[in-house]
Amino acid sequence: MKTLIKLEVLRSLRNKKYMFFSVIYPAGLYLLITAGGNDAIQGTGLDMAEYFMVSMAAFGALTAVLLTNSERIAKERDSGWVRQLRLTPLPGRGYVVAKIAAAATVTLPSIVLVLITGATVKGVRLDAWQWPAIGLATWVGSFVFAALGVAIGYLVTGDAVRPVAMVVYFTLAMLGGLWVPFTTFPDVLQTVADILPTHHYAALGQAIEAGGGPHAADIAVLAAWLIAFVALAAWLYRRDTRKA
Amino acid sequence: MTITTTAAVAFEGVGKAFGPVRAVAGLSVTLHPGETVALLGPNGAGKSTTLDLLLGLRNPDAGRVELFGTTPRAAIAAGKVGAMLQSGGLMEGVKVRELVRLACDLHPRPYPVDQVLAAAGIAEIGDRLVEKLSGGQQQRVRFALATAGDSDLIVLDEPTTGMDVSARQAFWAAMRAQAAQGRTVLFATHYLEEADEVADRVLVLHRGRLLADGTAAEIKARAGARRIAFDLDGPVPEEVLCDLPELRHFEVSGRTVRMQSGDADATVHALYAAGLYPRGLEVSGLGLEQAFIAITTAEDEDK
Repeated sequence: MKTLIKLEVLRSLRNKKYMFFSVIYPAGLYLLITAGGNDAIQGTGLDMAEYFMVSMAAFGALTAVLLTNSERIAKERDSGWVRQLRLTPLPGRGYVVAKIAAAATVTLPSIVLVLITGATVKGVRLDAWQWPAIGLATWVGSFVFAALGVAIGYLVTGDAVRPVAMVVYFTLAMLGGLWVPFTTFPDVLQTVADILPTHHYAALGQAIEAGGGPHAADIAVLAAWLIAFVALAAWLYRRDTRKA
Repeated sequence: MTITTTAAVAFEGVGKAFGPVRAVAGLSVTLHPGETVALLGPNGAGKSTTLDLLLGLRNPDAGRVELFGTTPRAAIAAGKVGAMLQSGGLMEGVKVRELVRLACDLHPRPYPVDQVLAAAGIAEIGDRLVEKLSGGQQQRVRFALATAGDSDLIVLDEPTTGMDVSARQAFWAAMRAQAAQGRTVLFATHYLEEADEVADRVLVLHRGRLLADGTAAEIKARAGARRIAFDLDGPVPEEVLCDLPELRHFEVSGRTVRMQSGDADATVHALYAAGLYPRGLEVSGLGLEQAFIAITTAEDEDK
């Protein structure tokens, strides 16, 4: 299985377009969004540079794990690579584990790059412990969406995967408040955002930024979504395995 | 005194339906260790479904499938089975050598990567990206994946599709080398000459049922017909040919007549008795291909 993970990482590193979008794009978007000024964002205790540093790190991780996993799995089910792998001694779940591990490996540099951009270009100042804590929380939290990506990959075929994944992705990113601070939403949308996992995901890092630890409520909501996504992915995986 | 060896493959009353279509019906067959077996059948005969059931990619509705006395999945997990499927895709964005190394690493009793590449005839394309290869080259990569380790059973679905003649010959040479090491080899093909040359046992599958099971020679004999071919000087009197005894089938192209007969002696005798003078008369046994067509069409007519 280690060889499969290595190969998955290797092919990602070889794909320059993919690496550009996954690693550089979140940092670029961060610079773009915060170019207008650095107002404080009401109700958060953070200014724009601080708030969006975590939002964009989360957004980058979300992009890498959700879009990559769903698209690769759906396409490789179509091409028959998934079938071919099932004819090897690799345990059934090894394929999914390798996909998630490989995506998580690519996620890390994209998160780190956003944090470095925040520290150097945007002048975000935090205590030393806060930097690795934010990076770690954002990285660990991304596994919730990796599970969702696997579920989408097993739900639809290669033709349909991109539109479906995109709709889910934009819904999560926008309504979850990654692009526009969630506190500026109208009441209805605030309720929606409160249900979606994305807002709670970014809140992990933002709580650390504000000087504390992640809130238990955010962790609880994310854990609930993680369980739901894993259950969905497992059910779809078994359905696919029976059909092969 | 009986000597019992565990069958390499055992199907017992296996059935599989897709909605109203019975892809495989009541299939019982046993493959013994060391056999090289060809699986023949027209399109839609149930070959692919049979291989899917054999490899545990599908579960049968009825009956039992065992490989080496255990479930297909357990046999595969133990590295006893190497398989290449027609529908088996390859991982993209990686080099041939990297992919073969993956297969070697996954196998509990792997061969060295270089040896696997050489045996599959792809040593010189080891540094090429998988998705840049031709269809025939990709087939050889699949073969390398199926033979990455010391497996006891090798299953190949239409292995030479997309290969040119010389590649096909090289492929079967590699395949014979596998069989010579005592492995059980099962392959599905629609090139009947391959089955004739390579297999020591031929299974004919038709409409999901096992129609014939024997050596290529037995299958040919079982068709029970011989081939007669000759030219006529004058116009071909088709109404006379129709009345010849034991005639199964005939076709006329120009002045050349080709026929299949259940009793070639009687047919030829009647030919002369009817006042015809066949030139360049040839009487021969059926090739495996004609035998195969004769067996499957006879089955269709019985229905």
